[in-house]
Amino acid sequence: MKAYSENYFQKTGMERPLAPRETRWREGWRLLKRNRLAFAGLVIFILFFLIALAGLFLTSGTKPVFDPAVVRLEEKLRPPLSNAKLEILSSDRVPRLGLYLFGTDELGRDVFSRMLQGAWVSLTVGFVAVGIAVLIGILLGGISGYYGQNAMRADQIFLGAVLLLSGGLVLMGITFFGVVLLCVGGVLLVFFQWVKKRASKGVETAWTRFLWMRAISIDTLIMRFVDIMLCFPSFFLILTVVALLPASIYNIMIVIGLTSWMGTTRFVRAEFLSLRDQDFVTAARALGVSNWRIIFRHMIPNAIAPVLVSATISIATAILTEAGLSFLGLGVPPPHATWGNILSDGKNFIFDAPWLTFIPGVAILIVVLSFNLFGEGLRDILNPRLRERS
Amino acid sequence: MMLSIQDLKVYFFSDGRVARALDGVSYEARKGETVCLVGESGCGKTVSVLTILRILPQPPGRIMGGKVLFNGQNLLDLNEEEMQKIRGRRIAMIFQEPMTSLNPVFTIEDQIEEAILVHEKVDIEEARQRCIQLLKDVGIPSPEERLRDYPHQLSGGQRQRVMIAMALACNPEIVIADEPTTALDVTIQAQILNLFRELKQKREMSLLYITHDLGVVANIADRVYVMYAGVIAEQGEVAHIFHHPRHPYTQGLLASLPNRVKRGKTLHSIPGTVPNPAYKPEGCPFHPRCPDVIGTCRVQFPEMCDYGGGHLSRCPVLYER
Repeated sequence: MKAYSENYFQKTGMERPLAPRETRWREGWRLLKRNRLAFAGLVIFILFFLIALAGLFLTSGTKPVFDPAVVRLEEKLRPPLSNAKLEILSSDRVPRLGLYLFGTDELGRDVFSRMLQGAWVSLTVGFVAVGIAVLIGILLGGISGYYGQNAMRADQIFLGAVLLLSGGLVLMGITFFGVVLLCVGGVLLVFFQWVKKRASKGVETAWTRFLWMRAISIDTLIMRFVDIMLCFPSFFLILTVVALLPASIYNIMIVIGLTSWMGTTRFVRAEFLSLRDQDFVTAARALGVSNWRIIFRHMIPNAIAPVLVSATISIATAILTEAGLSFLGLGVPPPHATWGNILSDGKNFIFDAPWLTFIPGVAILIVVLSFNLFGEGLRDILNPRLRERS
Repeated sequence: MMLSIQDLKVYFFSDGRVARALDGVSYEARKGETVCLVGESGCGKTVSVLTILRILPQPPGRIMGGKVLFNGQNLLDLNEEEMQKIRGRRIAMIFQEPMTSLNPVFTIEDQIEEAILVHEKVDIEEARQRCIQLLKDVGIPSPEERLRDYPHQLSGGQRQRVMIAMALACNPEIVIADEPTTALDVTIQAQILNLFRELKQKREMSLLYITHDLGVVANIADRVYVMYAGVIAEQGEVAHIFHHPRHPYTQGLLASLPNRVKRGKTLHSIPGTVPNPAYKPEGCPFHPRCPDVIGTCRVQFPEMCDYGGGHLSRCPVLYER
């Protein structure tokens, strides 16, 4: 910004230029446009989502534009860009344009149509699952890092465990015991309040001392829970949950998300531990800013960089986890294609028909890469100190 | 009485040891007055003001007793929500390190406006105008162009000015400044001190200024509290303290100041170091370093001795002499 002297404005009678007010969104957009790689990432990413959305409509219905389900055994494992043999195919089985753009698989199904059909499921699995994981991770990691040193009293832990258990029972369909346990929780709450009241009058018994014992800190509680979750081989954990719940793609997204938040939690906790003692956090507290506002407005933008990096990688993992589940018959039911199951089906023919693994692999790569580039740009936008570098 | 701390005790508990950071400290700041807290590092100056605002990390710290009266109300009795309404709006604080006290990811406009918007319901345009006015008041040239700068684009002195602007955003009744010039070089330090004096006159606010620099004290203070190892050693008007120090510690501090008379001679220094707050000596905490020590100093905690005119000193030995 060019600096003019006071005199200049007095002489010319010009209004001093006021730095235009710019919302954070607009500023972010301006910076994004300047960062070409990140912008390209965003464009590719949006393009893929539009294609996926289009694919949703183009491959469904009774007479879809691209039919992924037509089996042509006489045309199996044709390479990409090969023309359909019109003389041996009946007219309703000819692919659109008479061309196998991405080749065909072992059953002679058009891979392009299958990729289109699978795009929406794969993208949403990737993003919804990672979105859930990141949300849980930021929340738990944030609480653990910020409130971590506060100890929980034995009565709070007890009450929390009872209420959680009763909630879980109700959700699992064991309503009777759930409600009974809920009532027990209510009675306990009243009992604890009574003990507390008596304690404030100075009556101290073994009970009060037990219940007021500072048992463990919130940090320990959350981080040990993370350790427990990490102990399970996560794939088998997913298998167990999927076996209990009705198999639908949304359940799978949620389950993958619920079993992959631990890494993010650790990242966020570590960042928060170092940020919590920074002067600007103390300064914000001294200004009367509330704890939640400090967490969300002051600390998360500073802690977001490693989270974004790990999230972009998790997207690929989530897409492939879904593929593994489909492979075992617990994911999306077989005739429906996803990028993951095209990939895992194709690996049997990797030498005869490399495109069957190559094409979905490249598609996943492009999505992850574009999101990664966008994520990097986002990180620069959120953290002005990093801007000077690029 | 604007702000009055009475017999405040704050202990730190760690590794099974108790560090008595504040051991019965009392001080007060009247309306429109500049009060300085002086003392070496680790004597409890910062702990005492963090306790006033109730932003002391707890644990390890714990308030063991005493009162923090702000306009007659004990701040230690308030809950967190009520405290949030006082922080920033009625009592504001400026920190030592301007380099790290601003959030690196927000523009200074965002941060000053936040200081306003947290406490007052004004629309964004008005907040912006106030923000510009505040930056003008703290002497930032062409504030309109600076608004969108990020903290890393400003110099240390400018950042400290922004911190001061944030502290003044809601017209607080008292501003606590915790060594605001320690991290700045001497010319900037003089500018900032002038700014404080100017602002205080204009706004009729009280200033509680923490420093270990006696030159700064002589420059701006009305009254001084000298702290040593978690207790007030001596208190009084700035002229009393500088011309008739009545505590061996204050005398030692003043003797350690360089001046023209002492040119060419070895500068005086107080022997020994500040005691570890976890292992304070018995009796008077200063006795291992004191030149005037007598037998009772080693066993009996000294009482405050009144010299009149608000000048008190915690040294009966010099009082009786």
